[in-house]
Amino acid sequence: MAHIHFDNVTVKYPIYNGAAKSLKKTLVDVGTGGFLSKDPGEVLTITALDKVSFELSEGDSLGLIGHNGAGKTTLLRTMAGIYTPISGAVRTEGKISTIIELGAGLDSELSGYENIFRLGLLLGMSKSHVQSLIPSIEDFTELGNFLEAPVRTYSSGMLMRLMFAVSTSNQPEILLVDEMFGTGDKGFQEKAQARMESIISSAKIFVFASHSEDLIKRFCNRVFELKHGSIREVT
Amino acid sequence: MKAAEVPGFLGAQRQAFRDGFSDIAQGLQRLSMAFFFAWGDTKARYRRSVLGPFWMVLSTAVSVAGLGFLWSMLLKDDPIKLVPSLTVGLVVWQFISGCILEAPTVFSRNAHFIRNIKIPFFIFPMQLVMRQLINFGHNAVVVLVVVIYFAPTLHLNQLLVIPGLLLVLGNLCWIIVLIAMLGSRFRDFEQIIGAVMPLMFFLSPVIYRPSQLSFGQQIVWLNPFSYFITLIRDPISGNVPPIFVYQVAIVALLVGTVFTVYQFGKQRKNISFWV
Repeated sequence: MAHIHFDNVTVKYPIYNGAAKSLKKTLVDVGTGGFLSKDPGEVLTITALDKVSFELSEGDSLGLIGHNGAGKTTLLRTMAGIYTPISGAVRTEGKISTIIELGAGLDSELSGYENIFRLGLLLGMSKSHVQSLIPSIEDFTELGNFLEAPVRTYSSGMLMRLMFAVSTSNQPEILLVDEMFGTGDKGFQEKAQARMESIISSAKIFVFASHSEDLIKRFCNRVFELKHGSIREVT
Repeated sequence: MKAAEVPGFLGAQRQAFRDGFSDIAQGLQRLSMAFFFAWGDTKARYRRSVLGPFWMVLSTAVSVAGLGFLWSMLLKDDPIKLVPSLTVGLVVWQFISGCILEAPTVFSRNAHFIRNIKIPFFIFPMQLVMRQLINFGHNAVVVLVVVIYFAPTLHLNQLLVIPGLLLVLGNLCWIIVLIAMLGSRFRDFEQIIGAVMPLMFFLSPVIYRPSQLSFGQQIVWLNPFSYFITLIRDPISGNVPPIFVYQVAIVALLVGTVFTVYQFGKQRKNISFWV
């Protein structure tokens, strides 16, 4: 069932400088034809993905490599439907879970348990469903009593455990993970690997951006190299 | 040439409406989640205090007592008339201004959701309204106490507070979405709103009632907040709000919603780049 199809996808995004973000400046510009303002707000447009086409189907686990700013995260966000391409078409089938930024969706003042509910609801689960997953999440994270403590006391490795446990317990058909996955300790990486392998083996899609060749080799059967918004499949 | 462009233009408009509606519909389906989040926000905010959200109730009670005393002397008004109307006015004003003041940052504060999880954006304005409603519910304790103490009359007209509240909520929803979009595109919009709202407090009939003005009653009705306050305050004191207040509020709700849904659908895909 799970399927991702990119057809000639181009994603551009605007970068607004200080002046372009100011309504006052913009109004003065409109009102005076741009004569009064010294620094007219420039809007930079960045082409993050340039005519990208590929297809992923069940059982594919894809590694994304490329230098900083090559467009790995943008590609993940476009797959997730967070960014809309300005041209081309993105078609995805299957339930998507994302782990892109560490701590995204968590409220640092609330406890681990309360945040499990938050994340679960965000991923579209019902409260009772999240409740039923709690034991397995407790087990996977091994955070013990820390789950009672506010999340602001967690280290980044602990945050990663929590996010990974919730995002994968939803049985996603497509799992998109960005590079900060490396923050977990050895025990966690082994557990995560086991869970990832079960996701991959149950014929789902896994996409993983990383700078670590080691991790990519371990998890992925296909590798794309991104360079200035274009992709090239490495075999 | 031109004839070929027209259907395309209309098609784009229809698409914008469809996008806006589908986001709002998906958002409404997850109403309970928005409530859960709003409740979590409230809990998180008062986590390390003894009274919790009742700090807010206490501060409302103190300002009602202080302002009621001061303004009944300044306005030479009977406290029995002034204090209940002032209380309702203040509590409603806190609700409305809370919604409007936070609206410009509603998307940028939730940027970590918007950039990481595919989610209907309408959830965030809903969450803001819910959180303010939770505060409003707490403050309603003060209203209840004051009304029972000063004017314990039950009247059928008081039921009109329900349609009044619904009209205010509906209108606030589109206003918040509109302000939120402007606020995420233009970062100084928050400052503009922050500068205007304190002034609006004095221009709105919070402390006084429109009928108390010897002149300029028409000017009061140019202020949208006057309608919101009247829709809730008049029924609580057992009066029926003037019919034109309902007419204006309903027309604003329809026109505002249609306009906002269109703009929301058109700009929706840019919001994840703006925040």
